[in-house]
Amino acid sequence: MKRVFDSQLIGPFAAMVIVMLVVALTTDRFLSPGNLSNLSLQVSIVALIAIGSTIVIFAAGIDLSSGSMVALLTMILAQFLKVAGIPLLLAVPLILIVGGLLGLALGMITAYGRIPSFITTLAALIAFRGLALTFNNGSPIFSLDPALEPLFYGKIAGIPMPFFYLVFFYALASFMMNFTKLGREIYAVGGNPAAAVLTGINVRKVQTLTFVIAGFMTAVGAVLMSARLNSGSPNYGQTLELQAIAAAVVGGASLAGGRGNILATLMGAMTIVIVQNGLNLNAAPSSVQNIVLGAIILLAVGIDMWRTEISTLLARVLGRSDQSPQGAGTAKPALSKDN
Amino acid sequence: MAQATPPLWEFVDVCKAYPGVLANDKVCIKLLDGSIHGLLGENGCGKSTLIKTLSGVQQPDSGQILFKGKVVQISGPQDARDKGIATVFQEFSIVPTLSVGENIFLGNMPKNRFGVIDWGKVNASAAAVLAEMEIDINPEAITGNLSVGEQQLVEIAKAVAMKARMIILDEPTAALGEDEIERLHQLLRKMRGQGTAILYVSHRLDEVERIVDEVTILRSGRVVRASGETEINVSDIVSAMVGEDIAEHYPKEHNAKKDIVLHAANLSTKNGVEDASFDLHKGEVLGLGGVLGSGRTEIARALFGVDALTGGTVTLNGAPLKVRNEINAIEAGLALVPENRKFDGLFFNFRASGNITAASLGGLSRLGILDLNAEDAGTHKLIKELEISPQAEQKTVNFLSGGNQQKIVIARWLFSDAKVLIFDEPTQGIDIGAKIAVYKLINALTRAGKSIILISSDHDELLAMSDRIAVVQHGNISRTVSASDLTHDDLVRASATQITHAATEERQ
Repeated sequence: MKRVFDSQLIGPFAAMVIVMLVVALTTDRFLSPGNLSNLSLQVSIVALIAIGSTIVIFAAGIDLSSGSMVALLTMILAQFLKVAGIPLLLAVPLILIVGGLLGLALGMITAYGRIPSFITTLAALIAFRGLALTFNNGSPIFSLDPALEPLFYGKIAGIPMPFFYLVFFYALASFMMNFTKLGREIYAVGGNPAAAVLTGINVRKVQTLTFVIAGFMTAVGAVLMSARLNSGSPNYGQTLELQAIAAAVVGGASLAGGRGNILATLMGAMTIVIVQNGLNLNAAPSSVQNIVLGAIILLAVGIDMWRTEISTLLARVLGRSDQSPQGAGTAKPALSKDN
Repeated sequence: MAQATPPLWEFVDVCKAYPGVLANDKVCIKLLDGSIHGLLGENGCGKSTLIKTLSGVQQPDSGQILFKGKVVQISGPQDARDKGIATVFQEFSIVPTLSVGENIFLGNMPKNRFGVIDWGKVNASAAAVLAEMEIDINPEAITGNLSVGEQQLVEIAKAVAMKARMIILDEPTAALGEDEIERLHQLLRKMRGQGTAILYVSHRLDEVERIVDEVTILRSGRVVRASGETEINVSDIVSAMVGEDIAEHYPKEHNAKKDIVLHAANLSTKNGVEDASFDLHKGEVLGLGGVLGSGRTEIARALFGVDALTGGTVTLNGAPLKVRNEINAIEAGLALVPENRKFDGLFFNFRASGNITAASLGGLSRLGILDLNAEDAGTHKLIKELEISPQAEQKTVNFLSGGNQQKIVIARWLFSDAKVLIFDEPTQGIDIGAKIAVYKLINALTRAGKSIILISSDHDELLAMSDRIAVVQHGNISRTVSASDLTHDDLVRASATQITHAATEERQ
């Protein structure tokens, strides 16, 4: 358990609790069952996609394609259901496979084609949105299947379905990152690709697999997006990729790769959604919400980068001598020779 | 004479420590106007530390720096330039896409009264500096198009343009041919005549002998010969650099057996290995001798599958070995401890355990799931056996000293049970205690029947720790001899002549 819940979770967890307290104290509706259940619905799609985004970041890549891929996959799902007449029980797994294959393509272009993932997925961000528009003359497709909505709105024992997806996929991802060979290799590739090559790790394969996982998780998000509105639309998922990356970053994942805890991404996503929820409940306009979201991202990374200075300052203020920060976001050593 | 005018720059008892290494230990040196001062010593002796201190890149831990007899502080590289110190580092600091004139005045461009760069003046002033140096280079030429030697002269022109009184040259001739070296030396003599103080760092002792007026020799961070304490000739300098008491630092065990483990025949690659053949015996340490660029590292890379073979065969334990990439090599039982552990060896995001098991994840897992208890137990045992700091179990490896880090990289291949280990500069930048620990590890490995290919620029280490030495020249193994039949001087001379040969060949 110590491996799963390590010290890297403390910061993101504290941030989440603090925003929860602030929102709970400034609004009277935050803790109402209706709002909490609404929160878990709101966080679910971005938090599930963020699993993939974070794993790509662990391997020192970046995935900008997920928002557009959601739009494309909802349109393909709509085609499966409305045009091809594929039954829902078959269409959903098919979409997950298509998502994985799209990820495979992006991963191979990046790893074997030696194109930086920023470029590969930026191109995909633009192209997938265009591809989504080629279906149905670019118009949304509505009323896909009455059995689709319960995937999102359904409840088991009064708990919304998305809660179970979150628990399932985060448990799986956490297990993978902490207890499997692939998880270790992902951290190794992100930490030092040159060393990974010399220790016999198949770096390109590992990089590609992170994109397959990201494509698969994006497909999970796309299915939920379709279920939520019982439709497919080329306009779905705008800036979703950025929210997913923001969740990873607020959760403490290093964009340089190799560092971070996948569960912290869930906390990062929760933090962001709670802040948005709090602003909503306080009737703040969406412009303010975006400004606050921007500030949170800066603050989250800033606290990580300046942790030595902050702890020194805290120690001085509190008059303590112990000031060594432990573990998590330790800075990489300066690239200097020993002598 | 020295009493009348104080030296231009003087270091008194300057100390500088890095984690695990005292790089400069009470270093004193006097740099005089109009004198070329050679600063010599083997790799890791503290030369570059001294240069960095004088050029303001770092601050000393203690000791005084005197400028014309007065105590001063060199607070940063810009401060050093303001005080008239120009440093020509080994790695060029030239921007290849800019013109010669732009490079000469980079950061200090002549501007007109509107604050816009005055191109006429840039080119005219650059032409004046080049003319003063008697160098025939067009100031408007793109620097990247010039020969390496000309680029080096441009680098020095930068120092002349800023009217530096003190010029530091770090390995200025490493990339130069014979007549370019001669041109550089003429220029230096001219500058000396004008009163400039020059600190000259070079591994090429033959040229040092020709150009310098005085030498200071460092060993293990200390000055072992101050200016005037040694004759300026190659053999005196070598013996001072090496020291006499080195032998006991090498606890060599002879464990070589007759059986041939690896046989390499006529290896060639695109990047410099040419028809190299050698045998490696069980329990043997085979040293690859030769200078940087001779093809030592390239032979290792070819064996390990980093570079593709264009010709030749490798046989491992009697069976042909086809290595297409690092993964094949590791599966076959080969291991490479790379020269640069920071860039190619360590995972700074992992603690010792993750670093040690990185090459053995397949054996450590079933159905893709890692046996973390086995990992902990196995790495704990190695950390104790190799006397790696216990902190390594809790902290990521960036907190550890160079010696501990190197032990961890080697421990990786003990854990993976590799049969043939290639050590590329295994003791570079680590202190003497850690070096001896690495030597003992080499003994333990050979005792266990493993074979080692050792690459080292440290000739003493190579001679003392190898059973046999294969001398590498131009990517080819010119001869393989028993290590006891070679002396340090042999290797230094072989290297020096090779440089000269290579340089002459390039000119032709």
